[in-house]
Amino acid sequence: MNAKEILKITSSIGAMLIQYGAEIYRVEDSINRIAEAYGFMENGKSVEVFAIPTSLIITVNEGDNLPLTQTKRITNRSTNLDRVDKLNNLSRFVCTEKPETAVIMRHLEEIKTRRVYGVPVQALSFGVVGATFALFFGGNGLDALFAGLISVLIFYISRLVDKVKPSVFFQSVVCSFVISAIAVIVSRCGLTDGFDKVIIGASMNLVPGIILTNCMRDFIAGDFLAGMYTLIEALLIAVGMAVGAASAITLFTLL
Amino acid sequence: MEELNIAEQLVLPCLYSLIASAAFGVQFNIKLRHMITAAIGATITQLIFISYELSGTREMLCYFFSAAAVSVYAELMARRLHVPVNMYLVIGVIPLVPGGYMYNTMITLIGGDVNAFLPQFAKAFGIAGSIAMGVFVVSAFIRLVRVIYFTVRYKGSKLFFR
Repeated sequence: MNAKEILKITSSIGAMLIQYGAEIYRVEDSINRIAEAYGFMENGKSVEVFAIPTSLIITVNEGDNLPLTQTKRITNRSTNLDRVDKLNNLSRFVCTEKPETAVIMRHLEEIKTRRVYGVPVQALSFGVVGATFALFFGGNGLDALFAGLISVLIFYISRLVDKVKPSVFFQSVVCSFVISAIAVIVSRCGLTDGFDKVIIGASMNLVPGIILTNCMRDFIAGDFLAGMYTLIEALLIAVGMAVGAASAITLFTLL
Repeated sequence: MEELNIAEQLVLPCLYSLIASAAFGVQFNIKLRHMITAAIGATITQLIFISYELSGTREMLCYFFSAAAVSVYAELMARRLHVPVNMYLVIGVIPLVPGGYMYNTMITLIGGDVNAFLPQFAKAFGIAGSIAMGVFVVSAFIRLVRVIYFTVRYKGSKLFFR
């Protein structure tokens, strides 16, 4: 395995890990372990890695040759913990078996095409989350019904908004505005007693759970730059949710 | 002591957190086997939270201890089944998210009454902080244990006879 090949596999695995929502310290750790397994951490050779949630920089130093660097910019991140799990298994396999580059690339291709849940199933899961949280926070059956319906609608709206690649702030403002607007209109029509339980239930779909968890785990691992990035992202989403809901409620209760 | 309504105070919230956390598992694309384990973790969290709450512990401590408990569960199960820890951790803390307090914060902010807003804001932020601290303490401790374990196991002799 030469420097070019090690650069290729580590950058592919690292970029995919970041893209599917792994913590940053896991990315750096995996790359370091792979480099160590192929003997790139001794005899004057070295692999240096710098990762943040939006980009990945790897430099491979092989003795007397010029060092090789690759930068990968990660633009579209989507949470898929199943693929993170499989990538984790792959890097463990790479460390113990030390396979050829072609074998690793074939495994990566397999992981890239692993099945995800279909669109209707995901829409249903949004609905279930909305309905159960409306009940959880003390709503009645009607609240749960409307929270579920609004959540399903929100899933399709957020897919639509995703196509224009907005900032996370804009996306959460739009989704939260739609949730609150429909909830207020429904309660003004006299279908539900109040709109608060419906809004809380449906808004649980927008809570940045994975971002906050990754943020905490990056801080613990000492990766403060990545931790700050994800913390600010989570705060922006929360502020966006508040702005969207507040504007919708003030607008539609006045009408 | 007040009469305990088991169905309403204990069984229903646990059931809701089981269903909701399983649905969150679908959103994060977790496969069925891990989804069930994660959802059971969320249910245990909810059970621990309710038992602390009923025993009259202060609210922030309830959140802290429940978050610590789910963190322990996530770390143990993840080591056992060889998956990334955050798969179970994300799902496990879902029932603790203080959605109601955050909503009240926003509503009192619209109302414009600062004296009503500040306590709600402090509470929502405090709860989020205590959940984070609960996860923080356990994860940091387990990390420390792991580092010591691996150092002693693989570099034991070098460590002491350098």
